[in-house]
Amino acid sequence: MAAAALTLDGLGVEFSGFKAVSKVSTVIEEGELRVLLGANGAGKTTLMDLISGRTRSTEGRVFLFDREITNREEFVIARAGLGRKFQIPSVFKDLSVRRNLLVAACPSRGVFSNLRFGFPSATRDRVEDVLELTGLTEAADDIAANLSHGQTQWLELGLLIVQQPKVLLLDEPTAGMTAAETQKTARIIKALRGRHTLVVVEHDMAFVRAIAERITVLHLGQIIAEGDIAHVESHPKVKEAYLGSGGIH
Amino acid sequence: MTSRRLFEAAAYALFIALILAAPSVLGEFWLNRIAKYLVFGMLGVAICLSWGYAGILNLGQGLFFGIGAYMMAMSLKLASTTSQQAASDTPIPDFMFWNAEPGADQELCCITKSSFLWIPFQSEWFGLAMAVIAPTLIAAGLGAIVFRKRISGVFISIIMLALVLLVRLLIINNQPLTNGFNGLTDLGSFTVGGLVFDNFSKATYYAVAVALSVSLIGARLLVETRAGLVLQAVRDDANRARYLGFDVPTFQTFFFSVSAAIAGVAGLLYVNVAQFASPTFMDLSFSITMVVWAAVGGRNSLLGACIGAILINMMEAGMSETQALVESWRAIIGVVFIAVVLFLPRGLAGLADDLLNALTRRRAPSPVDIPVTSSRGGA
Amino acid sequence: MIDTLFTGLSLGSILLIVALGLAITYGAMGVINMAHGDLVMVGAYTTVMSGIWLHLGFFAAMPVAFVVTALIGLAIERLIVRHLYGRLLDTLLATWGVAILLQQAVRLEFGAAFFHRHIEGLGTGLQKVSVPEWMQGTVSLAGADVNLYRTMIIVVALLLTALTWVLMYRTPVGMQLRAIMRNPQMAAACGIDVDRMNALAFAYGSGLAGVAGVLMSGFKTVFPDMGTPLVVDGFLVVVVGGVGSLAGTLAASGLLGQINGVVAAASNDILARAVIFAVVIGIIVFKPSGLFSYKGR
Repeated sequence: MAAAALTLDGLGVEFSGFKAVSKVSTVIEEGELRVLLGANGAGKTTLMDLISGRTRSTEGRVFLFDREITNREEFVIARAGLGRKFQIPSVFKDLSVRRNLLVAACPSRGVFSNLRFGFPSATRDRVEDVLELTGLTEAADDIAANLSHGQTQWLELGLLIVQQPKVLLLDEPTAGMTAAETQKTARIIKALRGRHTLVVVEHDMAFVRAIAERITVLHLGQIIAEGDIAHVESHPKVKEAYLGSGGIH
Repeated sequence: MTSRRLFEAAAYALFIALILAAPSVLGEFWLNRIAKYLVFGMLGVAICLSWGYAGILNLGQGLFFGIGAYMMAMSLKLASTTSQQAASDTPIPDFMFWNAEPGADQELCCITKSSFLWIPFQSEWFGLAMAVIAPTLIAAGLGAIVFRKRISGVFISIIMLALVLLVRLLIINNQPLTNGFNGLTDLGSFTVGGLVFDNFSKATYYAVAVALSVSLIGARLLVETRAGLVLQAVRDDANRARYLGFDVPTFQTFFFSVSAAIAGVAGLLYVNVAQFASPTFMDLSFSITMVVWAAVGGRNSLLGACIGAILINMMEAGMSETQALVESWRAIIGVVFIAVVLFLPRGLAGLADDLLNALTRRRAPSPVDIPVTSSRGGA
Repeated sequence: MIDTLFTGLSLGSILLIVALGLAITYGAMGVINMAHGDLVMVGAYTTVMSGIWLHLGFFAAMPVAFVVTALIGLAIERLIVRHLYGRLLDTLLATWGVAILLQQAVRLEFGAAFFHRHIEGLGTGLQKVSVPEWMQGTVSLAGADVNLYRTMIIVVALLLTALTWVLMYRTPVGMQLRAIMRNPQMAAACGIDVDRMNALAFAYGSGLAGVAGVLMSGFKTVFPDMGTPLVVDGFLVVVVGGVGSLAGTLAASGLLGQINGVVAAASNDILARAVIFAVVIGIIVFKPSGLFSYKGR
């Protein structure tokens, strides 16, 4: 039985009486790829915010393996082994692609330990590997601001991969991508499976079908179904929640 | 090394060679004037480090400069002949006598409220040390509070602005302790062994030139480190850096403190060159003028900001023949400043950069170049 | 006691007039206009000049000063601030450059200094404005002697605030401006001409600065540097009061004025200002959104 990589226990947050997320409990196992589905406003991004420390939760707890990370600061959670990719790709626009990855690949995170010149060759090799995995080797010296939308998404993915977190939270990794780009992203994510634990928020059903193992469906801030694709698609509550929209979009 | 970096290294080398060679061709009077400009150059470096690299626009850099100056000036005041008073063995600044309550104890510890604070400054080395340490500690303390609260950039600038004005008022308000508006004048000279650092001696000039060179090279190397790269990432997208596991405030505080230290050293050197310390060091217009120097010279270039500061002050001095010229010079600087902010954010250094690129016909590089060099032995 | 209270009110009312214009430009556009203090200075010099050259009285100078500074404000907005939309720090710096230019224009007497000519009323020296006879002296209020001129300032400050309130809350123009303050993109999407409104807001705020200058000229000497401390004071009030909140500006100027007055009475003016700075720093650190703010900008 694989270890519990990410455990959510009754997690929730209330904004002035409005429960954006409530009583979310689930266990994501090591090496698993979990997809988080739900309509806009269901609370998926808020849930990610709660896990990664961006928003303070008002109830419940979060565990990364056996370490509690509830309401810790973002960088503490990141150091504990959680990586997050944002809906709007967030990279260092003024730095080149390679330097973006080097920052993420820094062997240590403190100020004084980084008062050194250059990077160890092991680090640079890792960066080259990730450049290849994300298909950015040729663009390595380009400034990140000049990348196409798809390339920016891959760079951000690359930042996460090179950070070597134990658990990755990916918020709509294919947003704004063409069909071809989406396929490439699916390949990258499938390559990560096993070595990393992944939680992916997505809308694109074709993409979800391509990568999903287990799916958790959120509606109005609560989990209404959990299981594999077949189970979720035929689940009465899921159908009810999306009645009239012809299934999950 | 790429040709660009070669050129940059050459520029630094040339500049440092020039300032170190100056004493062999210039006389005392000119050396003293240039020493002042070099001190301002250090302030340009300090502003650039904080603003261009750490993204913190410090509108109150005069605070660190002023504190550094006062620390040194206090020691030099006690070393001055005007402080040798017949009544006691220990030196007491003349203004304390003038401002003392009638019948006050004629000892440094007690002649006026809090005058005991002056006691350790009898050692000139204490004054020197405090001139560097005090601004650094204050900056570190400030940073620990302000950056951790994620206060947005504009408000940080306003806080620094309010702070420098606050300290200025406190100094002015304490005439018996600090000589208020008049500042500290009639100072002695820093003496090491037989070497006297008075305002016209070559030793003082070399001290300034060396300090500037060390600050320049030190800061340049600092931003070249991995920490410097992370700092730029932080400036670019602090959030992203946070999610990669970097404790953003510590990086900001570190570089902010280094910037403060450089300003403090500039302050202590200025006292040696100009022979006075005054609350005018903490005028708002002076602090903002430093930003103007850095902006025109190039906020992203340490050497650029330094040269910008030196050139602007040199030209202003050159125009001081008539009042109208000085005023119009200031007006011109005002126009240039506006133009730089609107159209030329990288300043003159950016212009030079673009020119160089046009000449060597390369693609535009990233705003600040950090090399990926191999490291010996890793980390 | 009444004395101290009155002094506090009077100090607060001066802060209010200066801050009112700033609150509008900062609230509407998030622009930190470092030239605002020098616009006050321009208002003061307009009073001086209109007295000398146009033989205008004190009160007649107010509309003149309003127009002059409003036009300058408009020029600043059009030529500079507009191009720096969203770049807050750069706007701060660029407007500081404008502040320098305004000061130098006065010092250089618009170029006359080069030709060794002197335009009376300008130059690097001090100027004085004579206050009408009937405004000098004191009046008795609740047993204390209060300065008539300062009372007038309080009255004018409240009148201007009331006028601004009416404009902001009872006119269509004001409603548009408030919409822009809360959400510029939505306002634009609803068909509001954001550009024009920004220009108008900036001009109005600058005009208010000019009127403040007229009032200041009555009791302070007029000289080119008089603007700098004012812009600092103005911003401290706006920051404490909260972005875009008229009530906040009113409360903050009242509060800071009283603190200033009380501390000054207890010790001295200098320490009072120092305390104000300390209070403001504290408020920025612990409540950066100000005392009264809404979730706007």
